[in-house]
Amino acid sequence: MRVAVLLLWCALAASASTFYVAVGGLGGEPDYEQRFSMWVREVEMALKPAGAEAKVRTIESATRDQVREALDWVAGEAKPQDAFVLMLIGHGTFDDHDYKLNLRGPDLTAAELAQLLDRIPAGRQLVVNMTSASGGSLEVLRKANRIVICATKTGTEKNATIFARYWVEALRDPAADTDKNQTVSALEAFRYADRKTAAAYETQKRLATEHAILEDTGKGEGVRAPSPQNGEGLLAASFPVVRLGTAAQAASDPAKRKLLARKEQLEQEIDRLKYQKAAIPADEYKKQLSALLLELARTQEELER
Amino acid sequence: MKRKCFVGLAVLWLTAAASAQTIEHAEALWREHRYTEANDSFRALVAAHPKNPDYRVRWGRLLLERFNPKEAADLFREALELKKDHAGALLGLALIASEDFENQAVELARKALEADPKLLEAQELLARLALEDNDPKKAIEEADKALAISPDALDARAIRATIDWLEGKQETPWIAQILQKNPHYGRAYELAGHFFVLNRRYEEGIRYYRKAIEIQPDLWSARSQLGVNLMRLGEEAEARQQLEKCFLNGYQDNPTANTLRLMDSYKHFVIFKTDNTILKLHEKEATLLRPYLETELKRAIATYDKKYRLKLDRPVQVEVYPNHEDFAVRTLGMPGLGALGVTFGYVVAMDSPSGRPPGSFHWATTLWHELSHVYVLAATKHRVPRWFTEGMAVHEETAVSPEWGDRLTPNVVEAIRRKKLLPVAELDRGFVRPTYPGQVVVSYFQAGKICDYINRQWGYDKLLAMMNEFATGADTEAVVRKQLQIDPAEFDKRFLAALEDETKTVVSNLESWRKQREEMAKAARAGDHDRVIQIGTAIRDLYPEYVEAGSVYEFLAKAYEAKSNKPAAVAELDRYMRTGGRNPAALKQLATLLEQTGRPKDAAAVLDRLNYIAPVDPDLHRRLGDLWLAQGNVEGAIREYQAVLARDPIDPAASHFNLAKAYQMANRPDQARDHLLLALEAAPGYRPAQKLLLELSK
Repeated sequence: MRVAVLLLWCALAASASTFYVAVGGLGGEPDYEQRFSMWVREVEMALKPAGAEAKVRTIESATRDQVREALDWVAGEAKPQDAFVLMLIGHGTFDDHDYKLNLRGPDLTAAELAQLLDRIPAGRQLVVNMTSASGGSLEVLRKANRIVICATKTGTEKNATIFARYWVEALRDPAADTDKNQTVSALEAFRYADRKTAAAYETQKRLATEHAILEDTGKGEGVRAPSPQNGEGLLAASFPVVRLGTAAQAASDPAKRKLLARKEQLEQEIDRLKYQKAAIPADEYKKQLSALLLELARTQEELER
Repeated sequence: MKRKCFVGLAVLWLTAAASAQTIEHAEALWREHRYTEANDSFRALVAAHPKNPDYRVRWGRLLLERFNPKEAADLFREALELKKDHAGALLGLALIASEDFENQAVELARKALEADPKLLEAQELLARLALEDNDPKKAIEEADKALAISPDALDARAIRATIDWLEGKQETPWIAQILQKNPHYGRAYELAGHFFVLNRRYEEGIRYYRKAIEIQPDLWSARSQLGVNLMRLGEEAEARQQLEKCFLNGYQDNPTANTLRLMDSYKHFVIFKTDNTILKLHEKEATLLRPYLETELKRAIATYDKKYRLKLDRPVQVEVYPNHEDFAVRTLGMPGLGALGVTFGYVVAMDSPSGRPPGSFHWATTLWHELSHVYVLAATKHRVPRWFTEGMAVHEETAVSPEWGDRLTPNVVEAIRRKKLLPVAELDRGFVRPTYPGQVVVSYFQAGKICDYINRQWGYDKLLAMMNEFATGADTEAVVRKQLQIDPAEFDKRFLAALEDETKTVVSNLESWRKQREEMAKAARAGDHDRVIQIGTAIRDLYPEYVEAGSVYEFLAKAYEAKSNKPAAVAELDRYMRTGGRNPAALKQLATLLEQTGRPKDAAAVLDRLNYIAPVDPDLHRRLGDLWLAQGNVEGAIREYQAVLARDPIDPAASHFNLAKAYQMANRPDQARDHLLLALEAAPGYRPAQKLLLELSK
């Protein structure tokens, strides 16, 4: 199922663009200023290999007007078949009612941000709010066909966050691409950054003060571990944040359509077999899995000829 | 037990109740072990007689006995505010200080005696404190003074008996005298148990605790200590039994409760046994750490068998705690211990590398240090002064590798400069009852340097001869005289001269080095790399041992890198590493630079060193695995890739694939295929894995 959705998305992607806006907020002190700007620049560098398909705009130490202008640009350019990714890096605040992104000059509230996002026609959107207290923005930002990731689970986690560091890392580390399809999906990047954030706190023997959440149904509360059981993560799994290789250039050669169909069928059979793993004797499972994987490898080889 | 109560109505009630209370009543309740009622009774008395310091002192003593030293101390202080030289209050504070091995215990006990020269308990405490300072002569003097105050002084006699037992005398007249006066005075044996444990003679300590509860079964403090020490030696079943008995009978002091709680957590530990080792690891990190720890443990045992000319008669048990506070409870029964490892005979408990921030702990150094204790304690049957066994252990750390062990820290340099090192014959004091902050660390350093010095001047055999001499019960002065043929004072003179000569550059330049290092840090913040290089180069060798945070080496390396001078950056980081630098980020950067400059073998060697410092780092294992695989070190690569998989990696497909490649190179096709399938199960479209599968299927 997941594979089929991804293939469809890849096919659409041939004629669609992804718009990226990365915003670095107010640091408040030199150390944070430097850190936020560095992460914004690293986002830009990580997206460079994506080529013309990716339309990227980054703003370091941003003002509210600059953020509005960038989102207006996307609203003007993007089409329904396009995708849009907004990445917010910096400090945020939450006073039990409003979330605010701390910017140079006046701050930007979550409500205002939601209005700006609603004007963007891109059919699928991803908002990664990596600031402190970002969990306070979820309720306002969530919407159908929009994935919202927050670095903190609530608005009350107010300490400076490190999630952004690992989100940026996910955009360029092949290890983030866990299914090895040469595309890092929003779900893969979320899991990567979340695991690394937790590990960093554990390693440094510090109490974790941030717990990232993801929401992609448009109506949920946001969850720490998206899964079919809690109904979160389906959209995020099929949303490519960054492509690491050439696999995304799906073969459009009609001569290979039969092979592609066989490949898709094999992948679905493997998914089914994995689902039944607990009910099959281990030796039998291994035998069936080996056969399917071998055939998949041969099919892929044929496709690449 | 808490002293606090609700104010307001409660005060009125207490005032009324107090009319029915007398000190005799409160004391009677206490004697009958009706502690809660006794506590209420004292509270009412104090409320009714706020100006009476005696009631506060007695209440404080009850609280002290019932595991609440903090509030007991408050009551003693309140009593002293009412009467500034109240002997009982001073004694109470002295007892609390003595429990924490604080130096002011002696002073407080003396003040108590000044206030009341007949205060037997204070005099007996002085005898105990002298013996804790490893000064039996003084302890005898103080005990005799106590006997002069009262011929019934049982604890003073117990001190005299203990001194005889510690000296190896089987028969002592003192115990017979005690038992004649009170055949159920278990406290006498309990006191002996305390001193044997303090001297690391755990098995003998346990024997005395057993005797204590044999003649006084309800002496719960002794039974609890029996339990705690049985656990130290790995006798967990009986330890639990004894501690549970204490707990169920209301003796729930912190060591008893904490140790029982820790024992409950043991279900999460896994035990691995070989012919000469028992390794106890937490289940969450057992698969990762076992290969490294077991290999090192066996290497240490093989080395020490030869060095100490001693074959241990049983396996060594090493317990590794990922939670430092668990390790502390394992060691003392209480959290808050500063040490990294502790040895109890053949059992070693230590922090796990995951229990400390990366870079702050070289676990292999600690393991070898503790293993040295196992040998020295076994060779001497635990009859060895603290300074010598610590000195040997510190000496062994750098004998394994000069990069291991601790460096000369600024605190130690200060101690040398201020001439705060102790004479060798008194060095144990620096460990047991330090008189200035950081003295314990300074004493470790000094003890290690003394053993280094003896090794240099007289040879390693002389250290072994000293060790064997200590086993006969001889003290430091006698051993130095006999084995080194030198007067201890003369030894101190020569040793200090050698040490001062060795450290004169850093001692005389410390202040200037500090100032210039600050200047260098300022230049680094301003991005003035040339200035950093200028200052750094000038001051680096004034204090070359400094490899803590903000070392000159790291500043220089960053400046050289900023100027694209990679060879110079490599040279600085290499110096940093060989001097004992342990910042994982700096060492990984060195490995990266070495790879970039075409030195993959050296890069692998750097990363392998990190396995001793920060092994809970999947990135380290993956990089080292890749390097070793490329260099044909297939078994090394397998170990590293297995380490990656041991911690639930973010990228299971790539991790299994790497291991499959290594197994294939090691000509282990079945294992290669298994891991390949696991890689493809996680990521069916993973092309490199698919290609290997096709290759293996041909």
